[in-house]
Amino acid sequence: MPITVGIPRALLYHDFGELWHSFFSHLAVPVIVSEETNKRLLDRGTTLAVDESCLPLKLYLGHAESLLGRCDRLFVPRIVQHHQGFHFCAKFAGLPDIVRNTFHLPESKLISPVIQTGARSEILKAAAAAARSAGKTPWSGWRSYRSAYTAWAQARDREVPSGNAFTPRIAVIGHSYLLKDRFLCGDIFAVLKANSVTPVTDDEVPRRRLYQEAGHFAPDIYWQMAAKLAGSARYFAHHPAIAGLILVSSFGCGLDSLSLEYIEQQILGSCGKPYIVLNLDEHTGRTGIITRVEAFWDLVKWRRKLESNLPAYGLSQRPHPLYDGELEY
Amino acid sequence: MGYLSAPIRYMMENLNIEVIEPPPITRKTLELGTQHSPEGVCLPYKITMGNFLESLEAGADTLVTLCGAGKCRFGFYGAVQKTVLGKNRDIQFFTLDTEHLLRDLQRLLGKFAPKAGQLAIGRNIALTVHKLRALDAINEAKSFYGARAAVPQKTLDICEYGAGEIANCETFGEVIDTRDTVIDVMRSYEQPAAAPPKVAFVGEFYVLLEPYANRWLENELIKQGLEVKKFVYTGNWAYAKVLLQTLGIYNEEKEYLREARPYLNYHVGGDGLKSVGTTAWCASRGFAGVIHLFPFGCMPEVVAQYALKNLCEDYKLPLLTLSVDEHASDTGLFTRLEAFADCLKRKQSLTSE
Ligand code: SF4
Ligand code: SF4
Repeated sequence: MPITVGIPRALLYHDFGELWHSFFSHLAVPVIVSEETNKRLLDRGTTLAVDESCLPLKLYLGHAESLLGRCDRLFVPRIVQHHQGFHFCAKFAGLPDIVRNTFHLPESKLISPVIQTGARSEILKAAAAAARSAGKTPWSGWRSYRSAYTAWAQARDREVPSGNAFTPRIAVIGHSYLLKDRFLCGDIFAVLKANSVTPVTDDEVPRRRLYQEAGHFAPDIYWQMAAKLAGSARYFAHHPAIAGLILVSSFGCGLDSLSLEYIEQQILGSCGKPYIVLNLDEHTGRTGIITRVEAFWDLVKWRRKLESNLPAYGLSQRPHPLYDGELEY
Repeated sequence: MGYLSAPIRYMMENLNIEVIEPPPITRKTLELGTQHSPEGVCLPYKITMGNFLESLEAGADTLVTLCGAGKCRFGFYGAVQKTVLGKNRDIQFFTLDTEHLLRDLQRLLGKFAPKAGQLAIGRNIALTVHKLRALDAINEAKSFYGARAAVPQKTLDICEYGAGEIANCETFGEVIDTRDTVIDVMRSYEQPAAAPPKVAFVGEFYVLLEPYANRWLENELIKQGLEVKKFVYTGNWAYAKVLLQTLGIYNEEKEYLREARPYLNYHVGGDGLKSVGTTAWCASRGFAGVIHLFPFGCMPEVVAQYALKNLCEDYKLPLLTLSVDEHASDTGLFTRLEAFADCLKRKQSLTSE
């Protein structure tokens, strides 16, 4: 009897989903992924979760529940750290426990490889363990992981196509599981596009570059997610083609509560570009977001008009010596 | 923090360092701190921020704080506070890394008291740790005898007075003597009665220890006739951190992990694992109930909450979850506390009949 694995379309799925997916398909294990976020999933998650949980965690539980009756195992990795010196937040380290306690599941119901140092040996162990709990041999686990990883890493590191020449761009910064969730952030991108602005996210920045930027804040920032945000904020704040920045955060995110303050103090306050912080929670109405993004865009336009009479600072189309060849416009 | 500050102040002064202790935490401290903090950040950040601002007003030019990199925000406090506070001021900011507490403390003291030798510094640190442990002991006694006294308030007063005495002791012997005398006096008020229900007080370190942050909950419980068992004590913590961990013979995480299984199977930063571990320990040792206290939105404790809900259900252990923030109202808190205490006492009298 083949085993079916369920993967919630939430949290790190938005970063690593393709890798996980292809790992299981190389193993010949059928996978189901929960549907895209919708109101119902969010409501369920809010009911299931402990009140003070952050929005993404609530969503995760909603997604997980929708898979329960439909698969034999849930894939809930425990990710603690995968780059030396950068931690994930407590919720990722405790995710399998949160899921088990919420749904009263036995350990055997979960596939929970542990990533806590990012070492090669650990990945081997994790792949073997995952394969075993899906009823396959460790050897096939290693092989599947290898093929899956190679393809995934290649796709990830491919050069990112650049946007149109000379159109202003707005950077949108936030955890990937917020930005890539269409239910949560789709409106932000839609409003921008409707105003013929091309939004840009850290997906378009080479990873090496991001971490280089984040390196400026070591050792203050020791969270993986916060480092990524600070890195992209710094990159975009100094990038000549970026006209403004939108920071997206969610209710109850312990990391953002501090790191956004830090980013504002260290980067945004002095970069001279307009920015806003959008805080999402389960009650955020779509209209609220749309109005705020539109108002922000008006502000950016107004600023651009003003500055076009002056030697342009933040919006100069002259390539900045530091930024040649990465984002081309 | 808690009774941490008095002995530390004594230590610094003994080494001829001028100390400006933040004025006692008040409503104003909290308001000031909140004003200068991001909204969603946890309560300890806001209070310490208020402390710093008030100390600066009082003329301090060097701020000392603790930090520990980990999965939690605590390690990030210092960096952000430094940026915010240093904006328009010329201040020095020192962070003591909890993973290297002894080393950092020695460095700091060596820097500010250049004339004092390493030996004197070492002795002072040892004396301070000693005092903190003595304070732990009288605090534990307070809870034990307070819950058994006819007038618990008296025991609380004795404890408070004794704590002041201990902070100013000059020798190791004196510390021990004072400690024993204080405990003896408390004991003399003990009433021969049935053992009161025992409650475990678990949660996040700072709010458990800082009476202002927990609204003197511990004393309130004692007054309600409950014996409170706390599992975090500054002295023990300092002792473990400074001495045992430096020597590398101490690993508390492993123990908690063993207890916390299968409800929580990983260290989630802060005190999350500890909260679950101690609760599990208490569950099998006749405790009447558990109070889980933490700052609103505290990440590790939110994870712990998932585990505690299940654990307490399985063991039929009454659980009171209290999260505190700058809006916490005393009345709200105390009403819940009273109801909880009543429920425990009723339960006890039912089972003893
Ligand atoms: S980083 Fe923030 S949003 Fe993400 S899981 Fe942690 S607390 Fe939640
Ligand atoms: S343990 Fe809780 S209160 Fe302490 S820093 Fe972390 S989130 Fe804040």
